[in-house]
Amino acid sequence: MDKRRELLLDIGKLLLTVTAATILGKFFTKAGFQEANIVVIYILNVLLVARFTHGYYFGIASSIISLLSFNYFFSAPYYTLSVYDSSYLVTFVIMLITALITSALTTKEKLLTQEAMEKGNENQMLYQLANNLSDASDIESILKVTIESVGRLLRTDIGCIYIGKSGTIYFQQIEGELVRQKAENYDEIEKSLVRLKTQYRKSARAYEYPIRGQGRLLAVLKINGSLSEEELKGKSRLLHAIIENVSLALERIEIMTEQIQDRQKIEKERDRANLLRSISHDLRTPLSGIMGTSEMLMDMTDKQDRRYCLIQGIYQDADWLKSLVENVLNLTRLRDGEVLIQKEPEAIEEIIGCAVAHVEKAFPDREIDVQIPEEFHLVPMDARLMEQVITNLLDNAVKHTKPDEKIQVAVSYTRAEVIVTVRDEGEGIASCDAPNIFQMFYTSKTRSSDIKKGIGLGLAICETVIKAHGGTICGQNRQDHQDHQGAEFIFRLPFS
Amino acid sequence: MSNERILIIEDDIQIQNFMVYTLENAGFSVEGAVSGSEGIRSLIQKKVDLVLLDLGLPDIDGMEVLHKIRERLDVPIIIVSARDQDSEKVAALDDGADDYLTKPFSATELMARIRVALRHYYRFSKEREKEQPEEAVYENGGLRIDTEKHMAYKENEEMHLSPLEFKLLLLFMQNQGKVLTYQNILHKVWGDGYGNDTQVLRSVMASIRRKIEKNPAKPEYIQTEIGVGYRMDEK
Repeated sequence: MDKRRELLLDIGKLLLTVTAATILGKFFTKAGFQEANIVVIYILNVLLVARFTHGYYFGIASSIISLLSFNYFFSAPYYTLSVYDSSYLVTFVIMLITALITSALTTKEKLLTQEAMEKGNENQMLYQLANNLSDASDIESILKVTIESVGRLLRTDIGCIYIGKSGTIYFQQIEGELVRQKAENYDEIEKSLVRLKTQYRKSARAYEYPIRGQGRLLAVLKINGSLSEEELKGKSRLLHAIIENVSLALERIEIMTEQIQDRQKIEKERDRANLLRSISHDLRTPLSGIMGTSEMLMDMTDKQDRRYCLIQGIYQDADWLKSLVENVLNLTRLRDGEVLIQKEPEAIEEIIGCAVAHVEKAFPDREIDVQIPEEFHLVPMDARLMEQVITNLLDNAVKHTKPDEKIQVAVSYTRAEVIVTVRDEGEGIASCDAPNIFQMFYTSKTRSSDIKKGIGLGLAICETVIKAHGGTICGQNRQDHQDHQGAEFIFRLPFS
Repeated sequence: MSNERILIIEDDIQIQNFMVYTLENAGFSVEGAVSGSEGIRSLIQKKVDLVLLDLGLPDIDGMEVLHKIRERLDVPIIIVSARDQDSEKVAALDDGADDYLTKPFSATELMARIRVALRHYYRFSKEREKEQPEEAVYENGGLRIDTEKHMAYKENEEMHLSPLEFKLLLLFMQNQGKVLTYQNILHKVWGDGYGNDTQVLRSVMASIRRKIEKNPAKPEYIQTEIGVGYRMDEK
């Protein structure tokens, strides 16, 4: 439609200027001006036509029509296309060449200007886009900016679907109105676009341009399908630049959001650790009171008395709670990295001795076998934390064995490390638990119900402490028994 | 052991009640103070035979109270502390406290510490008064050490100890039931100028334990006090 109108308009312009030039020429002859003036008028006519019409054709056409008009109206014999004076032929040729060159130059100049202007506009637009994008502080505003820019560029309805890790956001223009929509089967879109080799994909209703980030599809730009592919091709360079910009902006927001989330997570974690620590800290004193008092009552009660058992129960529960509190305190301290481990050369046998004494005191019916070699080495470690590790391992062993099943701690040395093994003859580690035993807050799902529930901190602490010492720890079913009866935990600490 | 006066300086009422009850049951006369200044005041007013001192007091730092008491009196002082106060505990012991108890402690532990502290105190004051020579033979369970003959026995069999081992074992036999800090032991056995290097001490301990204990990792005689030092149990 537009094209035809443009064509008609250009023809009109052509005819108008030629007519005007001819009429002016007639006045000139009446006024007795020389013919050269008329030629100049015609050249001016060609120049104007070339300047104000589209493409080279009208310039050329106006050159030829001007020549013919000059021939027809102003060279004798008048009102015919023939000439008497053959010197006119030279005039015609020169006039034609001049007209053609003028038209060509003018048209070219005009096209260049137009192109420069377009480029300038594009740059202006990209600059504006980049500005708007960098002002945007969330994904939604980036989508809006993108849609607006592309919409202005292509003068059609644009949509944009953001495909985030936690969901999608879809904005779509419908006849210029921006509407938030639910993303339709974006999984499918994603699948079809991820491996797309071309710049876009054409579907029935829209062109879909993938906006890729690093190794991931970030978003999809949808352009109304009524646009012709030629028009798109004309803007392809610009579209590409826009998509590039949008991709960078989306990634920037994603990273920013991630950082904020990380920071919030760390803060939350810290708050939780602080709360846990202060609660644990405050629990200690009353627990000490309960333990002391119940022990005193035990001292005052005859062992045959049924009350003795009850009091012992109080004591054991309090002791269990206290070891829980100590574990929590150690863990929060370790996780914070607030207290660096204070390593001193220590004798592992001394620390084992203390841990064993503590466990045997808490469970008087259990005896723990300790095997140490004649050889003796001092190993750098934090004695308090290592005591906690061994106590935790022994507590675990006690929990998972019957009173007649043996628990053993064994020490051995290699050239570069000390190896401590805590083994028992109990139920062992269920294969479904094996990968998770060192995880925090993991408690066995297969455990029989009469065993006192832990909260899954003991082994997590063991692992944290041993790792902080540059050592390793593993738990498995016993390798030294034929039938693998019982569990064994082995940790190794380097001498330096 | 009757009528000895014990002063308890402890701000935690529950622990204080527990200690008062235990000690009164054992026949001591007990005085309680809930702050450092109150404790020092009652020390000035009345003669006290033993002080139980909590390091974490609301008004004055426990260490300062310890120093103030030590300025005028050589009364036995037993430190009561929380578990995470290792370094303060050791500092207190090095600065003249006689022993320590870590919360939570049992009545048995409390009584044992008090008995040992009082006994050491009386022996020392007796020795000072009468200028009695130190004993020649020390015994504990199956262990015997004869300072004149310079011999050590386990179940009546002679043990072959190096001079350092002998000196160290003797120190423990003389201080049965009492905690000895690393600093303390190094000072007494190795002499001044040896510094704080506990590595040699630990090695000598390991070899003594291999000689006197049935199982060195489950010691019956010399117990490890992690972060503090050693203590020989009385058999």
